[in-house]
Amino acid sequence: METFKLIVPLAWRSLWRNPRRTAITLVVVAVGLYSILVFAALLDAWAQSSRDAQLNLLTGSGQIHAKGYLDDPVVDRRMPPPGAKLRAALDVPQVREWVERVRVPAVVQSEYKTLPLTLLGVKPQAERAISFLPSQIAEGSYLIGNADPGIVLGRHLAQRLKTRVGKRVILMAQNADGSLAQRAFQVKGLFASNQTAEDSYAFTGIETAQKMLGIGNGISEISFRLASGAALAPEIARLRAAAAGLDVKPWKLLAPLAAAVDSFMTAFVYIWLWVMFVFMAIGIVNTQLMAVFERVREFGLLQALGMRPSLILAQVLLESALLIGVGVVFGMIASGATIFALRGGVDLGFLARGAEFIGAGHVLYPHLALSEFFEMSFLVWVLGVVIALWPARKAAHSRPVEAMSHAT
Amino acid sequence: MQPDTSDAHAIVTCRGVSKIYAHGAVEVRAVDGLDLDVAAGDFAALSGPSGSGKTTLLNMIGGLDRPTSGTVTVDGEDLSGLSAAHLAELRLHKIGFVFQAYNLIPVLSALENIEFVLQLLGIDAKERHDRAAAALADVGLTGMEERRPSHLSGGQQQRVAVARALVARPAIVLADEPTANLDSKSADDLVSLMAELNARSGTTFLIGTHDARVIARARRHIEMIDGKITSDTTGDLADVVQ
Repeated sequence: METFKLIVPLAWRSLWRNPRRTAITLVVVAVGLYSILVFAALLDAWAQSSRDAQLNLLTGSGQIHAKGYLDDPVVDRRMPPPGAKLRAALDVPQVREWVERVRVPAVVQSEYKTLPLTLLGVKPQAERAISFLPSQIAEGSYLIGNADPGIVLGRHLAQRLKTRVGKRVILMAQNADGSLAQRAFQVKGLFASNQTAEDSYAFTGIETAQKMLGIGNGISEISFRLASGAALAPEIARLRAAAAGLDVKPWKLLAPLAAAVDSFMTAFVYIWLWVMFVFMAIGIVNTQLMAVFERVREFGLLQALGMRPSLILAQVLLESALLIGVGVVFGMIASGATIFALRGGVDLGFLARGAEFIGAGHVLYPHLALSEFFEMSFLVWVLGVVIALWPARKAAHSRPVEAMSHAT
Repeated sequence: MQPDTSDAHAIVTCRGVSKIYAHGAVEVRAVDGLDLDVAAGDFAALSGPSGSGKTTLLNMIGGLDRPTSGTVTVDGEDLSGLSAAHLAELRLHKIGFVFQAYNLIPVLSALENIEFVLQLLGIDAKERHDRAAAALADVGLTGMEERRPSHLSGGQQQRVAVARALVARPAIVLADEPTANLDSKSADDLVSLMAELNARSGTTFLIGTHDARVIARARRHIEMIDGKITSDTTGDLADVVQ
C-alpha cells in the first residue's frame, strides 16, 4: 500500500509534465476506442436488422418440417398437425409463439401474366405473432380467419400481374393425388416488404389451402419463435427429441445468409478492434518511449536514490495505465453518448434497395450490450497497458550511472 | 567540534579497483588499480583534473557502476556480487548522493523530494513528514517546503539535495562537484553546511571536486591523476567549521 502511495502521485504528476504529449495520447486512445465501440454498435445493429428482416418475415427462430421437405418442398412432403407430445413441447414458456402453415410451390395467373410463387396457407391470428407481413398491408386488408377464401399478394407481384385488390387471380398447384389443383381467388390485400418477398409469397387461409390441395388437415411446416435467442441450441435439441421423424432446424440453417451476416459482423467487430488497437499501440508506444527517453537521467536518479528497478517499472506502467485509463473513459463517454443519440435509428433510406441487397433493413438501431461495451473498453485498456510494458522495461533497465553523466 | 576518525572503521574500502572503458580498439583506464579507505566520519575531498577518474570512482563506490576488476566494499558489504535490486537497497540504506546538477525530482516539492527517500524506506507518513521538515530546516530552507525545484535557486536546490542525501542517515554521502553550478556565495554556504553536518552528525562525506574552497576546508585531501591516487593528505579541520 505504501508503495502504491509512493508511485501514484509520482506517476500522475509525471503525466502532466508534458501536457501536449499526454493530450495526444489521450486523443489517440479515446478516438480509437470511440471508433471501436460505435462501429461495433452499428455492425451489431446491421446484423440485428438483417436477422430480424429474415426471421420476422416467415422463418421465426426455427421450423419443423417433414423429412425431405426442405430439399423438395412439394405437397407430398407434408406432415400431420402436431401430436400431443410435440404440442406439449411447443406449449412451454421458452417458446413464445408457434404457428402451422401449408406451404407449397404454385403458379399464379392473372389476365395478363403467369408467374411462379409459394402459396402459404396460414392461420391469420397466430401468424401475426410470428411474422411482420400481416402488419405490412399496403392496400386492402389481411386475411381474417383460417377459412378465409381471399388471397394476399405482394405489392410488386401485383404490379407484374397487372392486378389489384378486388380482382381475381387463378392459383395452380400440385394436388395430394398428383393432379393439378386450381382455384380462383379474389385479391384481398397487397403486402409491402422487400422485393424478393413481394414477388415470392401469396397468402390464403390454411383451411382454404388444405381444401384446394386435398390434404385434409395436413400441414407443411411449423414455425416457432423462442422467448430468448440465447436458448436456441438447447431448445432445438429439446424439440428434436419431441418430434421424432420430423426435421427440426434452427434459423441459422434455414436462413444461411442472415447467419453468415451475423457471424461476419461479430468477426468484423474484432478485426476492427485489432486494426484500431494496432494504430493505438503505435501511438501509445511512441509517446511513452519518448517520455522514457526524455527521462533517462531521472530513472537513473531514482535508482541512485534506492528505488528498485521493479518499482520503476511499476511506476512507468502505472503512468501508462492512468493515461490509457483516462483515454478509455473519454472514449466510453463519447461513444456512449453517440450510441444513445442514435438510439432512434439511422435511416438507410438513401441506400434504397441496396440496403435490402446486403441484407439490412431500412433503419438501423445502434445498440451495444452493456457487457460488450465494458468488455471491449477493458480489453483496450489491458492491451494498452501490456504494450506499455516495453517502454516501462526500458525505463527500469536504464543505468543509474546516467544520472551522474553530466558531472566532471 | 569535529569527529575523531583516528580509530574509526573504514566505511569504504577499495582494493585494486580498475575501470576500463573500451572505445573501439582503444582502452581507456579511467581508474587504474586503486586502493582507498574512507573512515567513518571522514570529510574528504577527492580532487583532480577532468578525466582523472573522480566521478568514475564515486560511481563505483556508490554502486552506480561496476569496476572492471578489484573490489569495493561499503560498510562491510562487497558490492561486486550484488544485483541491481540489491545495489538499490544498499544505496537506499547506506549511501546518500549529491550531484552537480542537483537532480531533484521535478514533479515533487522540496519537502516531497526529501520525503521520497523516507517513503522508499517504508517510514510512516507522520515520521516521514517530521524528519523531512527537520532536514529541510537543517539546511536553512524552512518555509520553502511546498516549492517545486523550478521555483528554487541553484543554491537552494543543492541544499534540498543535501537534505535528501542526509535524511535517511546514510553511512556515507557521495557528492560529485556539488559546488560546480553555484555562485561563490552559495558554494561557500554549501561547503559550510556540509562541514557542519559532518561535525554535528558524524556523517562521512566524500566529495569529488575541483573547487579550491572545498579542498581547503576538507580534513582529508585525496588527489587523483590518470585514474591513480597521487596524494592522500590528512589535515586539521580547525578551519572547516566556522
